[in-house]
Amino acid sequence: MTHEYTAGGRLRSTGREPVRALADVSLSISSGEVVGIRGPSGSGKSTVLHAIAGLLVPTDGSVELFGADLTDCAGRKRLRLRRQHVGIVFQHFHLLPSLSARANVALPLVQLGQSKATRRERATALLERVGLGDRLTHRPGELSGGERQRVAIARSLSTDPDVIVADEPTGELDTATSESVLDVLTSVADERAVVLASHDPTTLTRTDRTITLCDGSIVKETDQDEPRRARPAVGGAGGEDL
Amino acid sequence: MIRWLVRASATVGLAKAQLRRSPGRTALAVGAVTLAVLSVTLFASLGVGVVSVGQDRVEDAERDVWITSDGAEAGVENGIVGAHAISADVSEREDVTRAAPIGLHTTYVGSDRDALEPITAVGVYETHGGFDFESGSGFEGSDEIASPSADPGATDIVLDPAVADDIGVSVGDTIYVSVDANGESARAFTVVGTADLYSQYLGSPTVTMRLAELQALAGSRGSDRATFVTVDVTDGADRAALRDELAATYPQYDVRTSDDQFVAMVKDRALVVTSGVALVGLAVVGGIVLTANLFVLVAYQQRRELAALRAIGLSRTVLSGLVGMQGLVIGAAGGGLALVLTGPIAGRLNELVAQVVGFESLLQTTPAVYGLGAVVAVTIGAVAAFVGGWSASRYATVEQLDGYA
Repeated sequence: MTHEYTAGGRLRSTGREPVRALADVSLSISSGEVVGIRGPSGSGKSTVLHAIAGLLVPTDGSVELFGADLTDCAGRKRLRLRRQHVGIVFQHFHLLPSLSARANVALPLVQLGQSKATRRERATALLERVGLGDRLTHRPGELSGGERQRVAIARSLSTDPDVIVADEPTGELDTATSESVLDVLTSVADERAVVLASHDPTTLTRTDRTITLCDGSIVKETDQDEPRRARPAVGGAGGEDL
Repeated sequence: MIRWLVRASATVGLAKAQLRRSPGRTALAVGAVTLAVLSVTLFASLGVGVVSVGQDRVEDAERDVWITSDGAEAGVENGIVGAHAISADVSEREDVTRAAPIGLHTTYVGSDRDALEPITAVGVYETHGGFDFESGSGFEGSDEIASPSADPGATDIVLDPAVADDIGVSVGDTIYVSVDANGESARAFTVVGTADLYSQYLGSPTVTMRLAELQALAGSRGSDRATFVTVDVTDGADRAALRDELAATYPQYDVRTSDDQFVAMVKDRALVVTSGVALVGLAVVGGIVLTANLFVLVAYQQRRELAALRAIGLSRTVLSGLVGMQGLVIGAAGGGLALVLTGPIAGRLNELVAQVVGFESLLQTTPAVYGLGAVVAVTIGAVAAFVGGWSASRYATVEQLDGYA
């Protein structure tokens, strides 16, 4: 796929040359796979993630998600496909500060029209799964960075998606906390695909495959020598049995 | 349908949580709506009160038809010439029970002729039961209406109770009245009673004396000038027909029924009415603009959260509802608070007005006033909801997310 955009806003023409964010990027990701995307700032990592999630439509090429071409869908259908198949984790968590951890995790289920009791039950189970069973009613401001990111991961799992895209999921965390978050992320990959973008080499060692982007193009693709499941967790903070 | 209800219920919960998150901002927004709605309800109750009190006053005057000269409604001119003679002629008609002249003139009044205060004097043919005296009584006897004596040796005067208090006199005391500020033309009058009938009618303190004596003071006795000639009709008489006939007889004057007279008074105060309406309009527009602007800012502040919520699968409808519902809640809270406060504030203002100018129940909080306030509150809430929702939808885009492109 290829994606171009014009800097300076969408509502009026700026007369500037379009910026090529991605150029002929082609990749395929399977369920059960953890794929890392690395590259310098502006290399197009986030754009790839957003294209996979259907948050943007490439100007050229296609994005197929479980047989549906996201580039050929109306916005409403793309939203429905994203809701059904994709979970998203952000670097800055983007939790609603006014809501408890449990309510944040339950948010995507609101759109599905699930009852409050069902939402609570599902959110509680997910928070327990990521090791935050004792933080259900805490607001984001009362949680550490690692805990917030684990809440965000639990939120991304609430609709039981087939793909999780994580943009710099450990970018704001210290090493030990990063390991704990990566443990959670990689543990859920048995049932789905996980695509994570990161600058951090340590983070990328936890992937099955690493794609290196530069100026919007794939310049390198590396498979890990050792299977992910065989690799021990690094650091002592994580390692919960999920 | 159930899904829609679940989403709506969750959206309300989310909006409440967001409002609780910034109590200061929420309180300010509620305060802005409260002020806007209060300004509407208080001005509207004032408008209702003015109309009602004005009509009451005209009706209380128990005069069915009024003869005036142009500009006389402001009470500063005595444009009718030969007022007693006109009154006597009109009284001769079969459909008229009584006609009487009334004159208004600015005078200077005090217990010390060297320290006089400006007060409007009302000249009447006689004092009647409508005066409802607080103390004392009215003038003794009545002259033939066509030939008043205006005897300077028997000058009676009725004071507004507030005027009597101000200058420290009571029934039986002597006061001085002059048409010039330095008191050169001052004459002594004996206070025979206190009543506020014409003060309420004019909206300012008055003293009341015989018209002939006021004319003598003002130097208009020869031309027998008055501001109005008021006419009472017999039961069942056609006031409109009488008006038309009197208008034909006295084409140099304006002849109006009491209803016409009230409308004319309102027209004379068009500037005040227009100013009031403009103030209400500004308050409403200001409240709407303020609240709408606030919600654009609210949506802007939450733009990353909204974009993230959109990314995790929430629809634009839910996100618009999330911010829009905050607008509705604030509109409802501010409007409700304003409606609750309208009664007590109007009551307090009425006490103040009664103390200062003597009008009672000037602000009247009728159901229509509350209805108008509710409509304004709902309008502000709806505008805030729409603007907030639209802004939320606008900001809920991938461009607001970290690391885009």
